[in-house]
Amino acid sequence: MTGTTDASRPKGPRADCVADSAGGITFDMAGHGAGEAPLPERGGEPALVLRRRGAAPAEETRLPLTPAGGDRSRAVLPSTVELAEGHWDVSVGDRPVEPGIRDVRALVDRVPGPSGPVAARVPYPTADGRLAVRSWLRARHAEAGDLTFGEGACTVEGRLYGAPLGAGAVAEARLGDEVREVPASGEGHAFAFTLPYDRLARPSLDRQRVWQLWLRPSAGAEPVRVARILDDVWDRRNVFVYPESEGEGFRAAPCYSADNELCVRVTPLP
Amino acid sequence: MHISFLLHNAYGIGGTIRTTFNLAEALAARHDVEIVSVFRHRDEPTLGAPAGVTLKHLVDLRRHSPGYDGDHPDYQAPARVFPRGDGRWKQYSRLTDTRIAAHLRTVEADVVVGTRPGLNVHIARQTRRGPVRVGQEHLTLDSHGYRLRREIGFRYPLLDAVTTVTEADARSYRTRLKLPGVRIDAVPNSVPAPTVAPADSTAKWVVAAGRLTKVKRYDLLVEAFAKVVAARPDWRLRIYGSGDATGNERDALRALIEQRGLHNHVHLMGPANPLEPEWVKGSVAAVTSRLESFGMTIVEAMRCGLPVVSTDCPHGPREIIEDGVDGRLVPVGDADAVAEALLGLIQDDELRRRAGQAALAASRRFDPVRIAERHEALFAELVARGSGAASRGRGRDALHRARGAVLDAAYTARYRAADVLRKGKRA
Repeated sequence: MTGTTDASRPKGPRADCVADSAGGITFDMAGHGAGEAPLPERGGEPALVLRRRGAAPAEETRLPLTPAGGDRSRAVLPSTVELAEGHWDVSVGDRPVEPGIRDVRALVDRVPGPSGPVAARVPYPTADGRLAVRSWLRARHAEAGDLTFGEGACTVEGRLYGAPLGAGAVAEARLGDEVREVPASGEGHAFAFTLPYDRLARPSLDRQRVWQLWLRPSAGAEPVRVARILDDVWDRRNVFVYPESEGEGFRAAPCYSADNELCVRVTPLP
Repeated sequence: MHISFLLHNAYGIGGTIRTTFNLAEALAARHDVEIVSVFRHRDEPTLGAPAGVTLKHLVDLRRHSPGYDGDHPDYQAPARVFPRGDGRWKQYSRLTDTRIAAHLRTVEADVVVGTRPGLNVHIARQTRRGPVRVGQEHLTLDSHGYRLRREIGFRYPLLDAVTTVTEADARSYRTRLKLPGVRIDAVPNSVPAPTVAPADSTAKWVVAAGRLTKVKRYDLLVEAFAKVVAARPDWRLRIYGSGDATGNERDALRALIEQRGLHNHVHLMGPANPLEPEWVKGSVAAVTSRLESFGMTIVEAMRCGLPVVSTDCPHGPREIIEDGVDGRLVPVGDADAVAEALLGLIQDDELRRRAGQAALAASRRFDPVRIAERHEALFAELVARGSGAASRGRGRDALHRARGAVLDAAYTARYRAADVLRKGKRA
């Protein structure tokens, strides 16, 4: 049967966004602006709503939508408005917003001041095609940088935020209650540590282990999670892939979690 | 003018679809424009419907649709009109033969435009007398197999014009096929101005984007980048894209990245759509293909203000890049030359900034409005002349049709014979 597409069917709201390096995000919407038909909302004021996924009780941040000339309207998330760590789904009223053009170049290669806290917010498209904001908010943060590989070990270099590096700094690999510790070196805010894989493969493995990496900046200090959040990559599992090394009865490689936290995966050899 | 495009599938993703949408939308500002999609498998076009353009379809493959055609008996019968040499032949059928024929017999248009060889053949054979017939080539004559080249060689004489996307390909059509009276013009693909601000040349990233297939030679780019990193470890490379039906080099590239110790410097980003906000994260773009029918990504990157280092491969790059001004052209397959050209732009901030601005200015010639004007001028000239009338006349047309029918029978017989031979060999 032949036929015609009705291009006039209304589509869901869509937002273009621009992220700045300080953590602010500007959302620009076309066609669903403040001047349009009343939106089903409290107070009647049009707003872009950010809701934290899985939060109980519900957590939301409302950003007023204001006319921005022509058929467009704008909402701004200032860097000073705190967003708890997590995934924030973007909607207008109860309608999810589709991602338009996301200009997040200012997030690439970001190096904030060393004092902390560290806030990172990356607007991203969810797997089902909706706009969301990934937020990280950490009083102290150990940002992983380049990883290098030696015989049966990997060396992690990075930068520490919100805490000084001092005597007795160590890196910890944690798996449940188990902890393996290696010394960390540091100068200013730059840290480095080398993790021999065989220590993560003992006692011998019967299944895959994924160790989480932490940095204890000085003797007695609270440990800081090692992660990589200071750029535009909201999920780096398939983008930052590292060489696998083979040891006695196991294979091991660093990897990132869905939350961009650095881990070491140790898999028994068949 | 009333302009009617015939497109394989307006609801999918691809360069031809994007380019046809851009052109149709630009033409629709002044003309009555429709896109007739042979197939429809989803409700909405993935790339978004072009504004002001009427979209129609001929064969409905949406299972939930009351007009679903997938169960039609003719849908399983092999196509006779759509040429076997076209890579999409298997998707066509007796049903498409008759639906396209019915459409072309009754089409209310001054100009009918085909967008792939198989559809151009339909237009040559089945369009009612009257409309101007234009066949667009979005790939190249070289890229077609022997069978398709022969088929279009004897069908295209019934077109009024063939447009290619490069001058190089237009020359191939003029010199390698005998198409008397058929106008052959090169009109490049268009790329709209990006909606993001152009790159400012300060980011220490090289960006590449395309399908992860062998022809794109990203292995060469990775090899070249190993040399770049040796000199400038502060620069990194992002490669956007995924594999397609013809292959996926992802694992091979990942292994090469690992082998060269580039895991901190080269990242396979996966697919991204739209690409504009990804280009502007970089300051230099790289294309290391063995072949580029046109070189759409080169124009896209330039429109975002990036100078492009590209292999001087057939056909497009040298018609887009002015070597040393808005980018660099390097020999095909030469990793050292790629590395040297990249480093030339990486090491010289001022040169990179200037080349980026030159790329931004030079790429405006690919704006959809300007490209549409070139198609529009061609269409208007052909309409004024009248389809086939001035140069060939009705008799010749009829003669050609008769000859076509005879050749058809001959080719069919020959292909059958060839198939039998091949099967015999295999057995």
